[in-house]
Amino acid sequence: MTTPDAAAPARRRLLILDDEPIVVKRLKPAFQKAGYDVAVFTDSAAALAAFEQNPAHIVITDLKMEGMDGIAFLDRIKAVSPDTGVIVITGFATLETAKESFHKGAFDFVAKPFKLADILDVVARLETFLGNPRHDHVA
Amino acid sequence: MGVFERIGKALHLPTRSKAPVPFVVLFKKFKSILERNNRILTLMADMGDKLGGEYVFDRRYIESACEELADQLFKLVSDLSILNRCRNVPLFVAFENVRQEIADELAGRHHFPDTPATLPLSELRADMAEAAGGKFAMLGELKNVLQLPVPDGFVVTTRAFAEFMERNALPDFIREQTKLLDADEEGNIREVSRRVRERILAASLPRSLGRGIAESLEDLARRGGRIPKSLAVRSSAWNEDGETSFAGQYESVIGVPPSGVADAFKRVVAGAYSPEAWLYRRRRGFREHEAVMAVGCQVMIDSKASGGLYTYAPLTQKEEGIFVSAAWGLCAPVMSGEIETDSYLIGRRAPFPTLSREIAHKGSRMVLGSKGGTGFEDVPALAADAPCLTEADLALLGEVSLSLEKYFKRPQDVEWTLDASDRLYVLQSRPLVFYGEPARRTGAIDAATSQAEVVFSGRGDVVQRGVAMGRVHVVRTDADLADFPFGAILVSRHTSPRYSRVMARAQGILTDIGSPAGHMAAVAREFRLPTIVGCGVATEMLQSGDEITVDATQNVVYRGLVKELRYFELTEEAVYEDSYEYRLLRRLLKKITPLNLVDPHSPSFTPSSCRTYHDITRYIHEQAVAELIELSEDRRGILDATARKLRSPLPLNLSVIDLDSEATGDTGAIEIPDLHSLPLRELLTGLIDSGMWSTDPVPVDMGSFMASLTRTLGVSGPGSGKLGRNLAVVSSEYMNLNLHLGYHFVLVDAYVGDVINDNALYFRFLGGVTDFSRRARRAGCIAKILERADFRVELHGDLVIGRLKKFDKDAMRAKLRLLGGLVGFTRQLDVRMARDDDSHCFAEEFLAAIKPVMEDAHDNP
Repeated sequence: MTTPDAAAPARRRLLILDDEPIVVKRLKPAFQKAGYDVAVFTDSAAALAAFEQNPAHIVITDLKMEGMDGIAFLDRIKAVSPDTGVIVITGFATLETAKESFHKGAFDFVAKPFKLADILDVVARLETFLGNPRHDHVA
Repeated sequence: MGVFERIGKALHLPTRSKAPVPFVVLFKKFKSILERNNRILTLMADMGDKLGGEYVFDRRYIESACEELADQLFKLVSDLSILNRCRNVPLFVAFENVRQEIADELAGRHHFPDTPATLPLSELRADMAEAAGGKFAMLGELKNVLQLPVPDGFVVTTRAFAEFMERNALPDFIREQTKLLDADEEGNIREVSRRVRERILAASLPRSLGRGIAESLEDLARRGGRIPKSLAVRSSAWNEDGETSFAGQYESVIGVPPSGVADAFKRVVAGAYSPEAWLYRRRRGFREHEAVMAVGCQVMIDSKASGGLYTYAPLTQKEEGIFVSAAWGLCAPVMSGEIETDSYLIGRRAPFPTLSREIAHKGSRMVLGSKGGTGFEDVPALAADAPCLTEADLALLGEVSLSLEKYFKRPQDVEWTLDASDRLYVLQSRPLVFYGEPARRTGAIDAATSQAEVVFSGRGDVVQRGVAMGRVHVVRTDADLADFPFGAILVSRHTSPRYSRVMARAQGILTDIGSPAGHMAAVAREFRLPTIVGCGVATEMLQSGDEITVDATQNVVYRGLVKELRYFELTEEAVYEDSYEYRLLRRLLKKITPLNLVDPHSPSFTPSSCRTYHDITRYIHEQAVAELIELSEDRRGILDATARKLRSPLPLNLSVIDLDSEATGDTGAIEIPDLHSLPLRELLTGLIDSGMWSTDPVPVDMGSFMASLTRTLGVSGPGSGKLGRNLAVVSSEYMNLNLHLGYHFVLVDAYVGDVINDNALYFRFLGGVTDFSRRARRAGCIAKILERADFRVELHGDLVIGRLKKFDKDAMRAKLRLLGGLVGFTRQLDVRMARDDDSHCFAEEFLAAIKPVMEDAHDNP
């Protein structure tokens, strides 16, 4: 695992946002076990506030949510921290929304329901991408 | 659009004019019924897969899956309306009932299993938690399946509970009171809780429940040989002792005289609304409507000593043992921590040596009162400082612990008691949960796994998540299976549903080859057995006796025991089964997938007997075939096609509708040589020439039992009516064949012409009754044959689908002959599997036997 910078902890920070508690409840232990420092949210405003305080290296977000939806959230994330890798998960995976999330800088998207192994794979791919030193000044 | 308007629209029929209806129109409907039938079966299988733990799904998924199923089912019934000229109202009613039950469940209104008010413990099993609650379903399993000693008793069912609540208008009252709870919940919960409990205690029991309790007490007295002096009345809520243990949250009333059971029942129900229990539920994500409580009643044991034990106690990173606490007298004060206890630590293997012990001064004990009730009394000085368990007692506890742990596949928290004659009774067993700070332990796990030798990782498909530790036992033959050691990890070349036999003994499964959608996978999930299939190299890299750790969550196999991993499994707080959506999906599937309608010749094969979506789907397929035959046979010439019975040496009971021929009114039988449909001719050739259906000896070692085949299955019995007939709709290049043979279904759809790109074969097999593992073997065997014959194969439960496209005409003819042979062969499998336990699948023998018949297709074009 790459260390973001000398002062930062070795663990990569991962933020997960989904308005259905079961999704974050399932993802949190899986990523903790994979060695991430995981923060989970079911409310986009709270997630954004936390992100602005302390940006994460990787963000996993739902698209369709009450309040601020995933695309708007993605916009804000990229504005605060352009190098954060964002993975979009959605149950309403249409070509349009997927395309839009790519335009806004999402790394990939995963359709719900998905297997834990699938999302771990996508994050692993993102890791190799982020592993490039030029992406390492997030913290 | 409302349901009845939709029905109205669906019932509009094109048969009013005098000209005959083109058969092609109806046949299109028929085909759409078949396609929908498939879609529904696949959807149901997919929903079942979601319970395995590999998938992350949310409520939106559940809703949209249910919605799509309902939509497909509605269209299925509507399509049938066209075929059977609107005589479909009972089916719409059946569909509407199931749909309503599903909608109710989604909205949090339950339909409880239809049971009497009380059920004896001797009738309970683990899968009856819906009716008997978690605790008593589990106690039933311990008593009746594991044969462990459990005090006799009965349970007041959830249905009786719901009736009690409804009769007293309690659900409405509780809903109102819930609204009054402060936002932070803690402020006024005591006050709200008091009001709810008072209302419950003041409620009256429905007469049926009072009678049920009285009769159960009489039965208990009869079985025990005397009227029980004292009873324990205990909560058995939904989900209690499941992933969420509710340990100590709900009330038990002990020392209850038989005359006090009804009042104790109310006290236990009221206990569900104690401030602690109520808050606990709310904080663990339980909805108000999930507070469903069965109440159990058991004979109290006049205990000499009692206590608790943890089957697995992690001491340090390296050491582990079984932790036992014990005191004199009854168990209750040990659990509540009211009295001092001895503690023992014993090894986790026979002979369960005592590793350490601490003997406390036990000055007081709880005993049964002479006139009911319980009380404390002083322990004689000599006994107070003596250990209350002997080595023999501890060894007995050790054995029981390991049996429980092996069966439940995870460490258990057990309550037990010994009577005056040192007989051991299990009072309760629930999953042991360690609470802790997961982040801190992650470091330890990283350190441990980074040092451990990885045998292989990321190679296969995870079927069931979890961690297994133990010694490898490689299974190659049935003898290996018979010798399967307790607690080993099963390693084999292929998956096999035969392994279900040893799953209660195994810790985990690894296979080189196999599908996560297969039958073994489904059984492994039922047993929650950490399982990875398709690893490729498991049998090559591992030998019997190797100690390994299977991390079926991360898909890694380590050499040696990585105990830290198990420690993490224990501390993993958010277990997937402990979520509302998981519980909801499981409850919904009970209304969707079970198949009750299995025999079309049975008088109960009717729309009103359909209790699940699967039943409706099954009924419609059967009915659609029957209607199509009947319409085309109708002498009044409603259709421009005629069904003619096929004359064949085999009792196929097959009607053929030829799309090419004009309706001549000729309904006489047709001979095989007169068939001009190439696909049907080839298929029948395969069926007849392969000898797979004949009584003649065949060149494989299954000829001996062939004699029994022709007389039993396939022919509809006398008076069976129009159901159960078989149908082929054909043209010169096309065939759609629906065969209901014995207890299973075969569907073949084939187009074979001169344009290679248009050529396609579709084969579907859906098994029927026989027990699960036999069905699984049969489906697996058929899948294997199809794969070997170049079909693209899907296996969902006992549904096998094979597809093949774009082969040239000669190759297609050979494949059709193979399918013909396979049709005969499936009947043999039915019989064979009904006759003995031989699990040999005969796929190779079949392929060898069919080869000359297929080659003949090339030689004689």
